[in-house]
Amino acid sequence: MIFEERQVEKNNFSSRAIFLFVLVGACFVAVLFQVFALQVSSYNSYELAALNNKNYAVPIQPLRGEILDRKGFAIVRNEPTFDLITKPDLIERPELFLELIKPVIFLSEIEEAAYLKKFKEKAFVNKELVLKKNLTAEEIARFNVRSFNFKNAFIDKRHRRISEYPQIFSHVLGYTSRSDNQYDLSMDIPRSHWADAELTYANGLIQGKTGLEETYNDHLLGTHGKRIYEINSRGRLVKTLGYHPPENGLDLHTHLDIEAQISAAKGLGNRKGAVVAIDLKSGGINVLYSAPNYSINKLSNGMSVKEFQDLIQDPDKPFFNRALQGRYPPASTIKPAIGMFGLSNNLINWNEEIDDPGFFTLPENGRIYRGWKKGGHKNVNLKKALMVSSNTYFFKLAYQSDIKDLASYFSLFGFGSRVCRDCFDEDPAFVPSPEWKYKNFNIPWFTGDTVNIGVGQGYLVATPIQLANYISILANKGSLPQPTVMKITDKNLEARSKNATLSKEDWAKMHNALTAVIESDFGTARSIRDLKNFQVAGKSGTAELVSLDSKEAYLEVRDTELLRDHSIIIAFGPMPNPQYAVSVVIENGESGGAVAGPVAIEVLNSLLNE
Amino acid sequence: MSNRPAKIYFDPYLFFSLFALSILGLFFLYSASNGDTSIVLKQSVYIFLGFAIMLAVSQADPDVFRRTSLVFIIFSVLLLGVTFLFGPEINGAQRWVRLGPFSFQSSELLKLALPIFLANFLFDKRLPIQSREIVISLAVIFIAFILVARQPDLGTGLIVALSGLFVLFLSGLSWSFIGGAFIALIICSPLIWNVLLQPFQQQRIATLFNPESDPFGAGWNIIQSKIAIGSGGIFGKGFGEGSQTQLNFLPETKTDFIFSVIGEEFGFFGVVILLSIYFFILMRCLYLALNARDRFCRLVIGGLTLTFAANLIINLSMVVGLLPVVGMPLPFISKGGSSLISLFFAFGIITSMGTHKKFLPQ
Repeated sequence: MIFEERQVEKNNFSSRAIFLFVLVGACFVAVLFQVFALQVSSYNSYELAALNNKNYAVPIQPLRGEILDRKGFAIVRNEPTFDLITKPDLIERPELFLELIKPVIFLSEIEEAAYLKKFKEKAFVNKELVLKKNLTAEEIARFNVRSFNFKNAFIDKRHRRISEYPQIFSHVLGYTSRSDNQYDLSMDIPRSHWADAELTYANGLIQGKTGLEETYNDHLLGTHGKRIYEINSRGRLVKTLGYHPPENGLDLHTHLDIEAQISAAKGLGNRKGAVVAIDLKSGGINVLYSAPNYSINKLSNGMSVKEFQDLIQDPDKPFFNRALQGRYPPASTIKPAIGMFGLSNNLINWNEEIDDPGFFTLPENGRIYRGWKKGGHKNVNLKKALMVSSNTYFFKLAYQSDIKDLASYFSLFGFGSRVCRDCFDEDPAFVPSPEWKYKNFNIPWFTGDTVNIGVGQGYLVATPIQLANYISILANKGSLPQPTVMKITDKNLEARSKNATLSKEDWAKMHNALTAVIESDFGTARSIRDLKNFQVAGKSGTAELVSLDSKEAYLEVRDTELLRDHSIIIAFGPMPNPQYAVSVVIENGESGGAVAGPVAIEVLNSLLNE
Repeated sequence: MSNRPAKIYFDPYLFFSLFALSILGLFFLYSASNGDTSIVLKQSVYIFLGFAIMLAVSQADPDVFRRTSLVFIIFSVLLLGVTFLFGPEINGAQRWVRLGPFSFQSSELLKLALPIFLANFLFDKRLPIQSREIVISLAVIFIAFILVARQPDLGTGLIVALSGLFVLFLSGLSWSFIGGAFIALIICSPLIWNVLLQPFQQQRIATLFNPESDPFGAGWNIIQSKIAIGSGGIFGKGFGEGSQTQLNFLPETKTDFIFSVIGEEFGFFGVVILLSIYFFILMRCLYLALNARDRFCRLVIGGLTLTFAANLIINLSMVVGLLPVVGMPLPFISKGGSSLISLFFAFGIITSMGTHKKFLPQ
């Protein structure tokens, strides 16, 4: 049956069909417009989004620079080590795999547990997983023989940070350890990718934590490289798209001297203390030694919890860097500075003599301040006072001084501030002032406090590096490039200390007097005079830990080692044209000249016999 | 059909453009399935079968479809019922019915049956159509929509409803009625949102407007699809070179999002070519509709073609981020036997309706 269609219905259909097809056409245009917007107008941002989806960049760890002594010998270097690395995505049953590999590689329960814990996430994304670090030669040999059984594991070279002198350089070098925030976010690698870094060190992304390793971390670190993988939507690595090699870190050339450091360590033996030696010409720090110490090799490459606890709980505090942080009364070693202060302020001159009856009586209240020698030194002038270390002379001189003037004079020698350009965590120690005393003890400054400072006792404290800086300024007749461990090639970076000025004549006499301390028949440190074949100037000191009025009383105290006096010497040589200055502090070592003196001489010997 | 002419009913324009589309589709599918030849092989079997069905169907006289339209729609509805009772539940929806080794999406049949049924119901009604006819037509459309939407398959349900509405519109539904219905729809839209839409469907609409609000959840598909298309640029990344596709960042590459694969690997250039083929097919169908032998044929061609167009436009708009994500394949390209077979069936009907001319007056 054919229905006779009227023209009006046909026209109606045609117009409506065309209307709908125009709508369809409009939709086509809308879709095409949107596609154009995506593919042409916003192409750049979508291209980037697609790249960000598929490109997975991981950092490549650079090799850290070595730390070299002043002759170019490595103090810390990178030692290859071999790790067993597995490919979890090729391991179906990790427990079974561990059973198979255990006869070849020794695994502790902790290592096994840690491996299984990380296994699952790594297997999913076919990344590598370290099973065992630092394989022994035997393990490597055993594995290599059976390697055809282990297609899912291989041995790879990594490095450890190793020093041939892990103990004696521990404080100055410091240690490295893995850091959880060792990111270089300037690198355009998302933070989460750093967990997948290609490692050069067995310990992962290491960072200097103390010492030079910390101070010069950026210098030593180098620049991370980058490997760009293509990943799929599940995060599996498909292939490598790009590789930018890392730039290894720069070596750090220091002024340190291995031989001199060894002689300092030998000289101190198992006593506590610190030795600092400075090259007078450059301000370079040749020796920076603190005892007791610890092994940076162990600390950097994995130390057992027990070992670490023992070190932390050791009453001798091996982590304490005495050279930079130990606060000691400078004792008699301060006397040259007091003398210079007297000369500069015209309180004394070289010829003026006073009578030293063995004690000083404070005029205000009659309090007695004793010298070390009963009966005193009779008539003393400045030179003799330095040579025989007359307390009375300096008590009297200090008594005439204003504490504020004295304190600001001390600062010319670096006391009370950090003196080293690049030392880690240096303590500024302390120069007292009346305000400080009132604030802390709520009592005013007494003249007696100033008198005590005249012989380096009382509230004044200094660190061994400050003492070395001080004696170097004396040795250099007033000025010194700022002490630095790293060799500075750019002269603009050298900062010279504020000048402690004396006339040329006064400097000569001062050097003369300090030489007499060691080289004359009456000098307090004459016992070390024959330990060397050059002349040395210096000043010894014995820092009292308890204030006592008589020698008899001290002999009782002496039985307790920790209450014995600290032995200090500061020295420079060879005279008359000194090259090196050294400070030695030996805790509870007693007499400065006799105990600390030989150590200073050994260090000078070592530095000069290069 | 005693005097069936000894000729083959065949429209070369439609035939070759569909052929070109199908062959291109096989290439796209090869890339979208990461080079899985078995999928491509299976699809080409369906295509071959589809062309055979199309040729066979187009030989039938339009009258056959008209006379069987009631049987056809009852059969389709029954099939839906079978699906509802016995069909396997896949992803929380019952859409498939198993016929021996084949499984068939039962709603596909209704997309064909409903417009033919309505065309038969309306073609001999004089203009303007009466309210009684409108009410009956709308009731049939509504029942068909509900049956499919309950599966639940809102996307196909809407297409089914549209297929009926197109016929109703083409047969001369009055403009005032359309306007009134439109206003009613807008007023009722909050009701539709809250009562008819499932929470996951609401979520899809919400993420369309702000896909970044949920980049790893519901927004993932839209974001990745836009990245794929956008990063294709003008000339694309090349066959098999689309990183979004090959590294599986793009979801459902073989089915709903295959257009994104084309956009990524062949760029704006490829998209324009593909859309041109589709547009050519639509224009050819419009021509056939306008020149068909009678009103019934016109209505059927118009209804089926516009259903095809709606299907296409919904898929395109979805993958380029203009519409919410609804399950809707790209016709002739997406993987899937039922959709392909029913498409060829539809074009077989269109060819039949477009090529059979009036009998000579007896």
